[in-house]
Amino acid sequence: MTVDLRVDLNGLTLQNPIIAASGTYGYDDEFSVFCDVNKLGAVVTKAITIEPRPGNEGARIFETCCGMINRIGLENMGITEFISSRTAKNGAAVQIVNIAGSTLDEYVQLAKICDGKVGAIELNLSCPNVAHGCLEFGTDEKALYEVVSAARAEFSGHITAKLTPNVTSIEKIAVAAQKAGANAVSAINTVKGLGIKINPDFTKEIVRGGLSGRAIKPVALGAVERIAQSVDIPVIGMGGIYTLDDVLEFFAVGADAVQIGTANFTHPDICEKLADDLAKFMEDNGFKTLDELKARLR
Amino acid sequence: MKGKVKKTEKVANGMFMLQFEAPQGFNVRPGQFVSILCPDLTLRRPFSCADFEDGAVTVLFKLKGKGTSFLAGLQPGDEIDFVGPLGNGFDISDKHALVIGAGVGIAPVYFLNKFLKQSHFVGAFKSEDEVPKDFEPDEVIIGGTILDHLERLIAEHKPEIIHACGPSVVLRAITRCGVTSQIAMEKVMACGIGVCKGCVIKLNRGGVVQNATICHDGPVFDGGEVVWE
Ligand SMILES: Cc1cc2nc3c(=O)[nH]c(=O)nc-3n(C[C@H](O)[C@H](O)[C@H](O)COP(=O)(O)OP(=O)(O)OC[C@H]3O[C@@H](n4cnc5c(N)ncnc54)[C@H](O)[C@@H]3O)c2cc1C
Ligand SMILES: Cc1cc2nc3c(=O)[nH]c(=O)nc-3n(C[C@H](O)[C@H](O)[C@H](O)COP(=O)(O)O)c2cc1C
Ligand code: FES
Repeated sequence: MTVDLRVDLNGLTLQNPIIAASGTYGYDDEFSVFCDVNKLGAVVTKAITIEPRPGNEGARIFETCCGMINRIGLENMGITEFISSRTAKNGAAVQIVNIAGSTLDEYVQLAKICDGKVGAIELNLSCPNVAHGCLEFGTDEKALYEVVSAARAEFSGHITAKLTPNVTSIEKIAVAAQKAGANAVSAINTVKGLGIKINPDFTKEIVRGGLSGRAIKPVALGAVERIAQSVDIPVIGMGGIYTLDDVLEFFAVGADAVQIGTANFTHPDICEKLADDLAKFMEDNGFKTLDELKARLR
Repeated sequence: MKGKVKKTEKVANGMFMLQFEAPQGFNVRPGQFVSILCPDLTLRRPFSCADFEDGAVTVLFKLKGKGTSFLAGLQPGDEIDFVGPLGNGFDISDKHALVIGAGVGIAPVYFLNKFLKQSHFVGAFKSEDEVPKDFEPDEVIIGGTILDHLERLIAEHKPEIIHACGPSVVLRAITRCGVTSQIAMEKVMACGIGVCKGCVIKLNRGGVVQNATICHDGPVFDGGEVVWE
């Protein structure tokens, strides 16, 4: 029996629901040194901004119990170089371009530049809104609605709104994204945190940033369930996925597809492996399509 | 990639060596490193190759925390999961070289020194019992810091190039001693292949300051280009 792993994300069809998450997989095929990148459903690029950015000074990574904190600070090559050198290098794995801005206008410009050049974008809405006291776009329904609808007006392809978990009610934010015309929502981005190490001489190393990895899986599952119950558009779940069981758990609470981030660092071939594991699981258990499997899980 | 442990051995106070067989076709240059999976840890642990002979990789490591404790407890026949070789490696030339390893920084330069024709190899350690057995350099310096000896070493050996690895205070001083240098740097790493930008340093290349990843663009850099934090 052959199984059909295809998933329709409301205007974007992937060959399977396993997607590499932004910031952990490079721009396109960097991980081909470890696995067959074209066996993935999609690869999300690291966040791309209007101008190239050098990222943050100082320590950028802090390992925690069951996770890590990062404060990379959006280091990237900028949209102009990206569009001219790094689009459409992969084959069967779709490229989703993660874009990030500091102002509404930057998102608009980015969406405009991407239009016609790339098929799908993911709006990273965890960025500080410089015009509004650096509050993250994704923490405010109104600001988020404005960004998503402005991007919608400029970009004719598939738009995923990527949500931050650092809010009181992520489902309300998801509803705003749907209203604004997003094709899908993805969640969660990293959870705000702090890592600290006190040395024997009482000097301290402190890293303030975003927590990811196994530690955030319960937070992510909770968010995905609430979002899935509130919107009709597809939900892409992520946060601490390492195993096929994790993938099934996300499907069970309403995810249509999943992204894998931090796990790529520990197991660089994990995305390919999860795609294979999922196919085998469906075959062994007699599921012909993903929808059949999801229906059974829900 | 899977490696099969040949042996682990305590080589000095708080320092161990791990030797494992790499798969057929594996090769590594001095200065390159491998990143080893340790149970329950989110990040792999990077270690410089201290030797490579007959398909076996040797790493030399200082006991620090969970990862290195796991490595120290490995038994012959155990399987490890590693990726590599990662990074760029040292330039190997016929120049008169002064090779400096401070503490466990001796690991990559020990391997490098085997490829150099004209070199003086110095190891600096806090105490006598920290000198790793079987990795002895030409000259051992105990106590103080290598910096107290730098001027003398340069006067005695007139190096055209210094290759070094060790704590950043040592490396920084070496890059300022007037001799061309190549230094192997460290920072906490996540991806190990240059994509996450977690391990960047700044380089000054022809007056332009730019980022470089230690894992992919390094870990070996021209000392003169490094902009210190
Ligand atoms: C390119 C490179 C080559 C290295 N070569 C050697 C070597 O030959 N011998 C040796 O003894 N050590 C080497 N190190 C350092 C070594 O990786 C750390 O000592 C080791 O990761 C500590 O792990 P732990 O779990 O035992 O200790 P922990 O208690 O987890 O950490 C102790 C310290 O090790 C460092 N560290 C922790 N995790 C990482 C990580 N993922 N990447 C890099 N550093 C980390 C941090 O500075 C931390 O404060 C190298 C590091 C790099 C980046
Ligand atoms: C080092 C690192 C860099 C990241 N960079 C981005 C980014 O540029 N844009 C973005 O939307 N999310 C970024 N993320 C968040 C991830 O895409 C993902 O949402 C989060 O890590 C949770 O998934 P995980 O637990 O599987 O890692 C980054 C995460 C990490 C660990
Ligand atoms: S560890 Fe990811 S760029 Fe170096």
